[in-house]
Amino acid sequence: MQQPATERTPWSLLTGLLAEQKRGLIAGAVVGVLWAAAKVSIPRLIRNAIDRGIKGSEPLLKWSLIIGGVGVLAGIFTGWRRWLAFRESRTTERRLRERLFNHIMALHVGYHDHAQTGQLMSRASSDLQQLQAFVVMIPLTISNLFQLVAILILLLNSDPLLAVIALAPLPFVNVSARRFSHKIHPAVMAVQARQAALATVVEESVSGVRVVKGFGAQGVQAGKLGREADAICEVSLRAARIRARFLPAIDILPSLGLIAVLGIGGHRVLNGEMTIGQLIEFNSSVLLLIWPMRNIGMTLATGQRAAVALQRVQQVLSTVADVADPADPVSLPTEPPSGGALGALSLRNVRFGYDPARPVLDGFDVTIEPGTSVAIVGATGSGKSTITRLLLRFYDVQAGSIELDGCDLRSLRLHDLRRAVGVVFEDTLLFHDTVAANIAFADPDASGARIETAARLAGAHDFIDELPDGYATMLGERGFSLSGGQRQRIAIARAILADPRVLILDDATSAVDPSKEHEIRVAMATVMRNRTTIVIAHRPGTIALADMVLLLADGCVAAQGTHSELLATNADYREVLASLAARDEAVPQAELIAVKIPREVFGDDIELEETLHEPIGGE
Amino acid sequence: MNAVTDEDKLDRDETRKVIRRSWQFAKPYHRTMRTAFLLVTIWTATTLAGPVLVSVGIDSGISQHNGRVLDLAVAGYIVVAASAYLIARLQFVYINRAGEGFLRDLRVRVFDHLQRQSLAFFDRERTGVLVSRMTADIESMGELIQFGLLQFVSAGLLVVMTLALMFVLSWELTLLALVVFPVIVVASVRFQRESNRVYLTVRERVGNNLSSLQEGISGVRVIQAFAREDEQSRRFARTNSALFDSHMDSIRISMWYFGLVEFCGIVATAAMVGVGGLLVHRGSVTLGVVTAFVLLLSSLFEPVQQLSQLYNTVQSAGAALRKLYGILDTVPDVDESPDAVDLPAAGEVIVDDVGFEYVPGRPVLANVTLTVVAGERLALVGPTGAGKSTLAKLMARLYDPSQGTVSFAGVDLRDATLRSLRERVVVVPQEGFLFSGTIRDNLRIAKPAADDEEITRSLEAIGVLDHFLAFAEGLDTEVRERGSRLSAGERQLVSLARAALVDPAVLVLDEATSNLDPGTEAEVEHALESLMQGRTVIVVAHRLSTVRRADRIAVVDSGGLAEIGNHDELVALGGRYAALSAAWERNQVAS
Repeated sequence: MQQPATERTPWSLLTGLLAEQKRGLIAGAVVGVLWAAAKVSIPRLIRNAIDRGIKGSEPLLKWSLIIGGVGVLAGIFTGWRRWLAFRESRTTERRLRERLFNHIMALHVGYHDHAQTGQLMSRASSDLQQLQAFVVMIPLTISNLFQLVAILILLLNSDPLLAVIALAPLPFVNVSARRFSHKIHPAVMAVQARQAALATVVEESVSGVRVVKGFGAQGVQAGKLGREADAICEVSLRAARIRARFLPAIDILPSLGLIAVLGIGGHRVLNGEMTIGQLIEFNSSVLLLIWPMRNIGMTLATGQRAAVALQRVQQVLSTVADVADPADPVSLPTEPPSGGALGALSLRNVRFGYDPARPVLDGFDVTIEPGTSVAIVGATGSGKSTITRLLLRFYDVQAGSIELDGCDLRSLRLHDLRRAVGVVFEDTLLFHDTVAANIAFADPDASGARIETAARLAGAHDFIDELPDGYATMLGERGFSLSGGQRQRIAIARAILADPRVLILDDATSAVDPSKEHEIRVAMATVMRNRTTIVIAHRPGTIALADMVLLLADGCVAAQGTHSELLATNADYREVLASLAARDEAVPQAELIAVKIPREVFGDDIELEETLHEPIGGE
Repeated sequence: MNAVTDEDKLDRDETRKVIRRSWQFAKPYHRTMRTAFLLVTIWTATTLAGPVLVSVGIDSGISQHNGRVLDLAVAGYIVVAASAYLIARLQFVYINRAGEGFLRDLRVRVFDHLQRQSLAFFDRERTGVLVSRMTADIESMGELIQFGLLQFVSAGLLVVMTLALMFVLSWELTLLALVVFPVIVVASVRFQRESNRVYLTVRERVGNNLSSLQEGISGVRVIQAFAREDEQSRRFARTNSALFDSHMDSIRISMWYFGLVEFCGIVATAAMVGVGGLLVHRGSVTLGVVTAFVLLLSSLFEPVQQLSQLYNTVQSAGAALRKLYGILDTVPDVDESPDAVDLPAAGEVIVDDVGFEYVPGRPVLANVTLTVVAGERLALVGPTGAGKSTLAKLMARLYDPSQGTVSFAGVDLRDATLRSLRERVVVVPQEGFLFSGTIRDNLRIAKPAADDEEITRSLEAIGVLDHFLAFAEGLDTEVRERGSRLSAGERQLVSLARAALVDPAVLVLDEATSNLDPGTEAEVEHALESLMQGRTVIVVAHRLSTVRRADRIAVVDSGGLAEIGNHDELVALGGRYAALSAAWERNQVAS
């Protein structure tokens, strides 16, 4: 199902991205080299100031001013190289994140069925951060390397033996920094894992507080927490011991070079083989190299982590969408055929299964005349919602075909198809945006009047009016929270506004409380008029709205007719409806309000709670 | 990246309180802490020894042509470096031992205190907030201990010690260093403030970008169904660019700061060399002292930068401690009275003129009086929000009534020991709540001392032993977090078995509103029936079948008792219950 688009390796993904930012990166490296040059010159300038200015007879002020001048340059280049490096790395991060998002949006629903939101999120957040941390090091490391080489050349020229001895401890700084990074990483992960385990105990104890208190089990939970707290303490101390082993060593190692300079260099000065200025030059040079050495060690470690992250990102990017626009798309007819209407659907001998070996639909065959409405009734799991998904081309049929106005769905542009087919899902998802924007989802430019009309049709206008900011109220996560029924009505308004030629109501009123559903039914009848509509519902009142009812069983159409015909003639149909009604009893009681429900043709929506408020027997 | 919001900032008074309290709290670690601080002080001093020894080596060794003094300086340097290494290792160990111990104690104490809080407290506080007190807040303390405390203390010490040493070496050059020093201090303070401000924006935008990302991923079906991918991509690009912009803001600030610090460092060096050279010419300082000053400049400037960077870590740890101490200061409101007595083995449950309010001034129940005799089965029915669940909870002392009393066998529940109360009265909630661990662990929640045989017996008593023994690992099956490996019905069975293990006189049941999985529904029914045998049962009923099996039915409406009696009596009364029953009868006929 998921084959890579190209055989590209993760690194070629990165080099491709970096090639786009070539100019910025080169600028970063050039400025970095200038910075390094300024820094490297300082020990030499100090040496000259001492030997020629203090010890010699040259004007000291000149050297002082030169050092100060270099200070100005070094200051500018320090800031500049930093800015360039971060700008480029953040740009890489931003671009790649956008690309990843767009790719995820385009991936077929079958992919999303298997992918976990959390994992995709971490691809686009923590993995990209790892990558950013590496990219920022690229120009910085180039300048650090330049600095290292330059100092090495200067010192070797000045006194090869002392240079070797003075700089000898520095590679160990690098090695230690790298080894430290390797060792501390698993230790830190272990601490995090224990912290997560403790969080679980806390979370369970707080959410299960009624059980804990009900049995007086505080001691048991306290015991669990105590063990986890001890475990955290233990692994944290283990991590601390690793830090204790490496960090002081990394700190102290360069001092060994300084000691060597003082000892060996001092004697050379005494013997007249070296000037005191040179001695101090050596000293400052060693100090200058400590940070570049540490940094290079860190770059290697971040590089390894970035490689792993990059690979995961590449895996997502190289997944090809199974459902995509055809190479040669046809256009949907925009004019109705003579004497007819738009929105003719025919499903021919359709077979489909999420697992192809176990088809959900098999030999499903039905023709829906344009402008008519069809209710699909079937037991839970019979494949009703699968039909919705196939009509939207979330998946492709495995055999047979689906045609809209004479065009096979696979020959249409996805955008055109999905504009022509509108849907209200059972579980409504609203976006973090205003009520108006949520309704105008299909057409962000819709006028306020159109939005209100759609809301009125969906029976949502009244409660929207009562929201704190009316149509401008923010919804979704962090926004105003609506009840399940209210959310569904917004979703219905959203589909109405899209004005599709085929409208699918996939259990769209399941969370609307029965009293309100009656109101919506009237509205729905208006919307359904002259529009091909497919209704998946379990309440008889809603089912009765449709011109025709299909009973779905064993993956195909088991019976077909009007609601009352089927009710009168088909025992299976009655049984399915009864089982759906039983399911309805599980509707959250908070949704139910104290209003008497009109008796339907079949079944009884009367709930225990309501009758208590509305005594039928009279008081 | 640690950003601190305004409300997290502690004022001077609060800071003092937090420090004093932490010092008291850390009592077991005072010795370790004192040792650690001593070690930090010595270690800080060793970092200054290097420049001094170099200066001695130059002045007394090289300039005086005395090879022996030079060798001595070198030997001294080696000793200092070696001991610095050992001391540094030790201080790490000491400070972490004290710090991690302190955190462990804090975790245990806060958790114990949380568990002592009443249910009303848990109704008020959100789970997420309480969990983050025990995790994020304590971890931010941990971060301080691991990375900050040591550096914070030694950086402060280093500035003071360096200045003192400089004065001893040459007051003229010290004054020169003090010209540049304030620039670094001011720049660092401003940098800290500015970057904190920007980090807060970055944090907010990271959050926005993540929700926009999440919205896209979890809403992908709706987005594709409405062919809105392009628009959604544009929306994401907006939050993504906003994040990029705030990152760039933070880089701009650090660009100026690090550039300035670099500039100041080199200019100070230039000044030291220039002015120092002049003083050497005059003979008022030696070349070694000038060298020492050049080397000491970094000991003066770097700690200032470190302090400004650690400032946020210290602040957020302080804020975290204040919140944690806030929890420790909350006095639990349901607690055992000092002269509590054990409840007798059996007796009547008497609710006497009871009223209750979650929010003062808004009573949920008022003037409820009823008696449940031993072995009686009472069903509570009524509309959502009428107060039937609250009444049931009061009968188990999950809350204390605001008015009136609830008693068992003549003892006011408030005067009973909590232990005996939990043995006599057991609440079975709507849904079986399981903890991660094995089935056996989950049963032991009810009675930690229970042996394996007792556990087996309790399962047998309600007829579900075979069900669990059929699992490959039997009662040692790991149920995972929230019992996710078991079905809802199986979780309920475990919950019922817990009650059977306690073997209480009174059972308070909250009947599930939704249907369980068909596979176990009958089993749950059967187990429930066995559990109820021979006990006083108070059931919050949602199904008429349950109501029909009760000895008496209490109809609770708008915070009071509307009707009470057995089925026939209430039907004869022709009130609310009669209507309910009639509707049910009709439903039976229809299907």
